Amino acid sequence: MSIEIKNLSFVYGAKSAYEKRALEDVSFTIKDGETLGIIGTTGSGKSTLIQHLNALIRVTNGSIVIDDIDLSQKRINLQLLRSKIGMLFQYPEYQLFEDTVEADVAFGPKNFGYKKEDIDYMVRQAIELVGLDYYEVKDKSPFELSGGQKRRVAIAGIIASRPSILVLDEPTAGLDPIGKREILDLVKRLKDSFVKTIIMISHNMDEIAEYCDHVIVLHEGKLIYDTTPEELFSDKEKLVGTGLSLPHTVNIARLLSEKGVEINESCLDVDSLVNAIEKAVPNE
Amino acid sequence: MSRDITLGQYYPVESFAHKLDPRVKLLLVIVYIVGVFLVDSLYAYIVVGAFLITSIIVSRIPFKSVLKSVKGIIFIVIFTAILNLLFHKEGEVLWSFWIIVITKEGVLFSIKMALRLLLLVLGTTLLTYTTTPMSLTDGMESLLSPLKLVKFPVHDVSIIMSIALRFIPILMEEVDKIMMAQKARGASFDNGNLFKRAKALLPVLIPLFVSAFRRADELALALDARCYNATPNRTRYKKLTLSWRDLVATIAFAVYIVLIVAVNNNFWGLY
Repeated sequence: MSIEIKNLSFVYGAKSAYEKRALEDVSFTIKDGETLGIIGTTGSGKSTLIQHLNALIRVTNGSIVIDDIDLSQKRINLQLLRSKIGMLFQYPEYQLFEDTVEADVAFGPKNFGYKKEDIDYMVRQAIELVGLDYYEVKDKSPFELSGGQKRRVAIAGIIASRPSILVLDEPTAGLDPIGKREILDLVKRLKDSFVKTIIMISHNMDEIAEYCDHVIVLHEGKLIYDTTPEELFSDKEKLVGTGLSLPHTVNIARLLSEKGVEINESCLDVDSLVNAIEKAVPNE
Repeated sequence: MSRDITLGQYYPVESFAHKLDPRVKLLLVIVYIVGVFLVDSLYAYIVVGAFLITSIIVSRIPFKSVLKSVKGIIFIVIFTAILNLLFHKEGEVLWSFWIIVITKEGVLFSIKMALRLLLLVLGTTLLTYTTTPMSLTDGMESLLSPLKLVKFPVHDVSIIMSIALRFIPILMEEVDKIMMAQKARGASFDNGNLFKRAKALLPVLIPLFVSAFRRADELALALDARCYNATPNRTRYKKLTLSWRDLVATIAFAVYIVLIVAVNNNFWGLY
């Protein structure tokens, strides 16, 4: 499923004292199978952009076409759209409400009208996909789980309805380093399942560099870069004025090359950095 | 959705009305309310309406925004008007059918009642539009301070009030967020009958309560950590002071009150 966004603009509270321009003439395409990273400082329009994708905010200016669904149309099949595009909000654990984990995960599939037997299977598969023990957690209250587990249950609740596009708004916010890694590895693992395309908002450049193959940068509602992480992070000048920084690995490589170590690769994750250093400084 | 609720919302522009002392505004609004209930001649209502329009102009808030506050009570206004129309049986009969009798006095009375409600809500909305919740509670605390003499916990009550007011927009934002999250999971909130809709709100209400309690806990901890209320006499960052504006507003109000009382009594037959 590809997503085509053309000339998208959006204004909050139009014609009132609180009027705020959130998106301005944003156009880009997300191809099938991509992992797209969206970066930008707070208030750059990232959340507004992704809320457009499953019609939580309706298109007022411009157009979005997801496969054969035109979101600028007045009448669209919301249920179908929302079952195709899973959306994980910030701190998704705050949306849990059912008595048991099983019932909470089943909320989505039930709303989308799946049959009882199918739902049971989907719920079980989703819980196992996020790395929880189905029999151990299914009858527990979601409120008695730990923070990391709650987030997993919330993710299970999204993927239970088998979306082919998964949108994640800062999936690692508020987690400890180990929890972060676990969630990111989970996201990576999901790409081997029914989830084909992943769209991820993150403030963490390391995450973007390591996990994404396409990245867009928003700044004050405008799209300023639509490129690959290698391209974006190859030139320090590009991020000047956007309030964003380079990933740590890229930064280390830069500092080393300033000191005369010859590193030419882009080094978007720790392994490639280590390899590049080993190549540049042969072990004596 | 929640952005439509205007009650208790501040409209940030600079104006004469915005700069008035909250205590003065509170007292004047109380006088205004008493005024609205006192008058019962239609001419006097015209004066009240004219005064209200002048106040809106002075506060530099677009009429459209002020009128929005009426949206929420329009049902009550129509409902009371109809009831008044049906149950007012004395006077000149205009129209009757079966047990329904409509009289001329009934029509006048229900128009007056509807006007009363509208003027009441519009006037009080103007207060919350021109005054931030914080200065409103500050004003309230200052006005209630004589009650300290009878050991009434004025300060505690006002801090509870200001926290409650402060949390309204936060909770609304939270409702928006949770609703979006549940909508993304296929929940729909505007289908089905009343019972179904109420049930559809559970996935919003439960997380909302959970988060409200969590916030309350965190806030209590934060207050404790800063030794809140450890000292009996807190000083203030913003002190309320009266200015020439308050004097002007009070005089204008006095003139207005005299005017509506005079109009209401037909100038005591002087003309």
